Amino acid sequence: MKVLTVGARAIELDKDGFLLELSDWSSEVASALAAAEDIELSPEHWEILELLRSFYSEFQLSPATRPLIKYTALKLGPDKGNSLHLNRLFKGTPAKLAAKLAGLPKPTNCL
Amino acid sequence: MPRSLLIISRQSPWSGPGAREALDIVLAGGAFDLPIGLLFLDDGVFQLAANQDARALQQKDLSANLQALPMFGVEDLFVCGDSAAERGLDPKALSLEEAQVLTVGEITALIDRYHQVITL
Amino acid sequence: MSTLHVLSHSPFGDDRLTSCLRVIGAEDALLLSGDAAYALQPGTAPFNTLGTRGLKLFVLAEDAQARDLQTPDWAKAIDYPAFVELSIRYDKVNSWL
Repeated sequence: MKVLTVGARAIELDKDGFLLELSDWSSEVASALAAAEDIELSPEHWEILELLRSFYSEFQLSPATRPLIKYTALKLGPDKGNSLHLNRLFKGTPAKLAAKLAGLPKPTNCL
Repeated sequence: MPRSLLIISRQSPWSGPGAREALDIVLAGGAFDLPIGLLFLDDGVFQLAANQDARALQQKDLSANLQALPMFGVEDLFVCGDSAAERGLDPKALSLEEAQVLTVGEITALIDRYHQVITL
Repeated sequence: MSTLHVLSHSPFGDDRLTSCLRVIGAEDALLLSGDAAYALQPGTAPFNTLGTRGLKLFVLAEDAQARDLQTPDWAKAIDYPAFVELSIRYDKVNSWL
């Protein structure tokens, strides 16, 4: 098991770096998870993370790549809901990496 | 042209893993852009009852997951109207608005049209 | 496209057979395997229903024999090689799991 240290808190992660307890998530935790991936979160990142959290609260699951693109296009328009934009923000694996930073479980259908 | 797949989900959401397994196949197929359809038959229609509360049994909320189907590219959703009516559910008031209500005869034609069928 | 429907649960206390008979098409066939062979128990509701439906009906011979079930003239007892042949002859197989 891995541990992420944020301020005084030690947060437990699974072997792939996903939060074990989804309720541990906060914006500071997201920034720390991103830093561990060499990503500095910009407003463009944040809007996708917020979108993912709303996807999860609506559907109770983490989206695979295709539904993530579709949902993003639906909510933020086609300029952002496309694989180019999402791949650029999340190092080519948007479904997996963005879910991790947004504090969601690993997408199960992301084979 | 990939072969089309119809999943027939005929177990209640609370009876065991059948309903979730059927949904997992459909979501995985949708993520791979397979031509995939999902039919709720028999007790499977209970998956579409409104206002279920998964928290009471400390389970994951299958109803919420089902709402994600169109987002996963699965738009061929069907429900057996007779199964719903027999179980006291109004076929027009089910929780998955996108699902088309079919008669038994239409289900025979539906099964006929797909290349592969999995019944769970 | 024709379908070979395969049942393996007993028709008593389970509605797979009833449900299958509702949706089975004219070009389709039904194979009874395992406990589904109990549908051939004479004098029972499933037996009477199947006898009057005029379906293409098959039963796995060894499952019928093990359960002391005679194959009526409106059904055909087959072995595993014939089962394989049937699954190829029909466009698809729908196993009612």
